Amino acid sequence: MNHGELLKMGEYNHLSIEGCSPDIIRCLYRFMLRLRRCQEALIKEYYPADEMRCPVHFCIGQEASPAALSLLLSQSDYLLSHHRCHGYYLAKGGSMNALFAEIYGRATGANGGIAGSQDISVHDLNFFSGAILSGSVAIAVGVALGFQTKALRSVAVTAFGDGATDQGIFWEAINYAVLRRLPLVFVCENNRYSTYAPLSKRQGKENISERVQSFGMNVKTVFGNDVALLYSVFSNAIEEAREGRGPCFIEAFTYRWNAHVGPGEDDYLGYRSVAEREFWKKNCPIALLEKQMVGQNLMDSKIKEKMIVEIDQEIATAFQFAKESPFPHLKEWSQLNYNIDTPQADRLLETIDSSFFDQNQKEAMPGPY
Amino acid sequence: MTQQTYSKAINQALYQAMELSSNVLVLGQLVDYQSGVFGTTTGLVDKFGTQRVCDFPVAESLMTSTGIGLAMSGMRPVLVHQRVDFMMYSLDAIVNWLSLMRFKSNGKLSLPVTIRAIVGKGWGQGPQHSKSMHAWFAHLPGLRVAVPATAYDIKGLLLESIFGENPTIIIEHRSLFSMTSEVPDIPYRVRFGEAVVRRKGKDVTIVAIGFMVPQALRAAEKLALEGIDAEVLDLRTISPLDEEAICNSVAKTGKLVVMDPAWKSIGMAAEVIALVSEKMGSNFKTKPARICYPNSHTPASSALEVEYYPNETSIANVIRSVVYA
Repeated sequence: MNHGELLKMGEYNHLSIEGCSPDIIRCLYRFMLRLRRCQEALIKEYYPADEMRCPVHFCIGQEASPAALSLLLSQSDYLLSHHRCHGYYLAKGGSMNALFAEIYGRATGANGGIAGSQDISVHDLNFFSGAILSGSVAIAVGVALGFQTKALRSVAVTAFGDGATDQGIFWEAINYAVLRRLPLVFVCENNRYSTYAPLSKRQGKENISERVQSFGMNVKTVFGNDVALLYSVFSNAIEEAREGRGPCFIEAFTYRWNAHVGPGEDDYLGYRSVAEREFWKKNCPIALLEKQMVGQNLMDSKIKEKMIVEIDQEIATAFQFAKESPFPHLKEWSQLNYNIDTPQADRLLETIDSSFFDQNQKEAMPGPY
Repeated sequence: MTQQTYSKAINQALYQAMELSSNVLVLGQLVDYQSGVFGTTTGLVDKFGTQRVCDFPVAESLMTSTGIGLAMSGMRPVLVHQRVDFMMYSLDAIVNWLSLMRFKSNGKLSLPVTIRAIVGKGWGQGPQHSKSMHAWFAHLPGLRVAVPATAYDIKGLLLESIFGENPTIIIEHRSLFSMTSEVPDIPYRVRFGEAVVRRKGKDVTIVAIGFMVPQALRAAEKLALEGIDAEVLDLRTISPLDEEAICNSVAKTGKLVVMDPAWKSIGMAAEVIALVSEKMGSNFKTKPARICYPNSHTPASSALEVEYYPNETSIANVIRSVVYA
C-alpha cells in the first residue's frame, strides 16, 4: 500500500463494524467527533482571539488512530506522541480544560503553560509528546525496556508520522525493539508529507513497512481512516505486546486536512494536488464510520445532535476555563530546571567526609586502548 | 576504609547501587564482558544478569533515549561511554529531551539518568578519543555535571547521581583510573556543588578541574620549595558550581589561576574568571590566568602530544607569572 495507489481506489467501502460491539463503535465515533469539533473550535478562535501564542499542529483528518487507542490503553500504559498530539492527549484521558489552558499559556494548563501544544504531557496519565521527530519513538524503547525489566504487563505505544522514519534513530529503535522483544507498539501515521515534502522526495522507496519488516518486526499496513480496522489491529498488537510476544509496527495511511502548522491552509503553496485532497475528504474517518452506523441503526440525526450539544458544551467550558485562568507566575528558574530534593540518596547513602588524596602517585599508563 | 583505584571505586559504586535498588541498570557497549570498560563494570553481569547489565548496540543516540525512557518508567539507568566522543551521537537526546524534561513538565517529572563518559589521553588517542566537552554539558540548564578527580569522589558522586533526581553527566579521565585514594566500603554520598580545598595556601588560588587536580597539587608542592604558598581548590562538580568556595579563596589570595583539562576558549576556566570578576572584580591583585589546552584538536603523534598538553614546567611558569606579576 502507498499513497499513490490509494488515490486510485476512489471511495473506501471496506469499513465494517461487524467485529465491534455497538458500545465500542459509539465510543469510537464520539471520540472522533469530539476531537474534530475541538480542533475546529480552536482553529476558529485562533486568530480572532490571538491568545494561543504557540505553534499548534491540528490533526483534522487524522482522528481515527487516537480514537482507536483511546479504548485500548490503561492508565499504566505509556503513550508517547509526535507534535500533532491533541488526539493522543485526549486518548490517554487528558482533560480538554487543561489542553486549552496549556495552549493559552495559562497556569492551569497541563504543563502550567510551560510546554505549549507541541510538547504537552500529562505525567500522571503517562502521556508525553515532543516536536523533534522520532525523539519520542526512541524514548518509548526505554519505557518498554523498563516494563520488561520489571516484568510488568504494561505496554508502551509510540505514535509518529512518516517524517520520523527519515531519522536514523528511528531505525535504531526498530532494531532494538525486535532484538529485545520489547512490549512496544509503533503507530506510524503516514500522511505522506513532512511539512510540505512528500515521502517520494525524502526516501528512495515508498515502502516503510517493508523495510521495517526486514528487521524482523511484525508489521501491519492499513487504511488509517478505517477506525474499526485500526481498533482491531491495535487491539491485537497491544495484546501481543502485553503477553510478552514482542513489538509490532502499524503503518496507517491517512491525511492531514489543514496546514502543517497553524489554523489556516497551506495548499496555496501547491504541494498537494486537488484530487488528493478531495479523495481524503471524501474518505473522512468520521463520515465513513457514520455511514455504517446509520446503516445499522446505531446513529440518527437525533443521537448525533445530542452528542454535538454535549461536546460543544465541553468545548465552551474549556475556552472559558482557559481564558479565565491566570497566567503562570515566575518561579525560581533553577527550581523549574533542577530537583533539589534527594529523597532516595538521603535514605540510602551515608554522609562522611574525606578529602585526602596523595597526588604523588603515577597516573594511568596510556595503552593502545 | 581501604585504598582503592579510581576504576575499582566506580565498580564498587555500581555494584552497591545495583544491590541497593533493583531499579538501577547499567547500559553501554561491552559492559558485560570481563574487561568491563577498563574494569569499571567487571563482574556486574555475574551478579545482576544481562537484563540489568545490558550490552548495547553501537547506537549511542538510541541508548541515551532508552535511558530517558527507563527513567520515565521509574528506573535509574547508568549509561556508559568508552569515550566522550562516542556520546556525541546522543546530543539530541541530551539537549532536546533529557535536559529539559523536568522544565517542560513544569517541575513534575525528574529523570535520574546518569551518564558516565571517559576521556582518553596519550598513546595517540588523537582527536576522536580525547575530548572532554564538560563545558558544553554544563552550559545546558537541567543537567548536572561532575568531573571527579579522586577515587573517593567518583564513588560518592556516582552514587549521589544514581540516587539523586537530576540527569547527570560524569566525565571520567582515563589517566586517573589507576590512582588510588581511601575509599570507604559503605555507600556514601559526595554532594553536588561542593568544591574541596585540597591544599591550603595564601599566595595564589589554583582552581583545578578533574584530571588537572593532581597536576595542580604537584605544581603547588614544587612551588612551595620556592616559597610560593598556593591554595588548590578541586571543583569536583562544575554544574552546579561552588561559587562561594571559589570567591572565598580568591578573597584570601587575590590571585587566580584556573586549570581546566579542555580547550581554552568559551570554557570552564573562562567561566570561573568571569564569575570572580563579576562578584569581586577589584579584588584581583594580578591578572588571572588560564591553564588549558590550545584551541586545537588533539594530535596523535607523541611528539605533538607533548606540545599539546600542559606539563610541569609550563604549569609552574604560568603560576609564577600570576604570583609575581
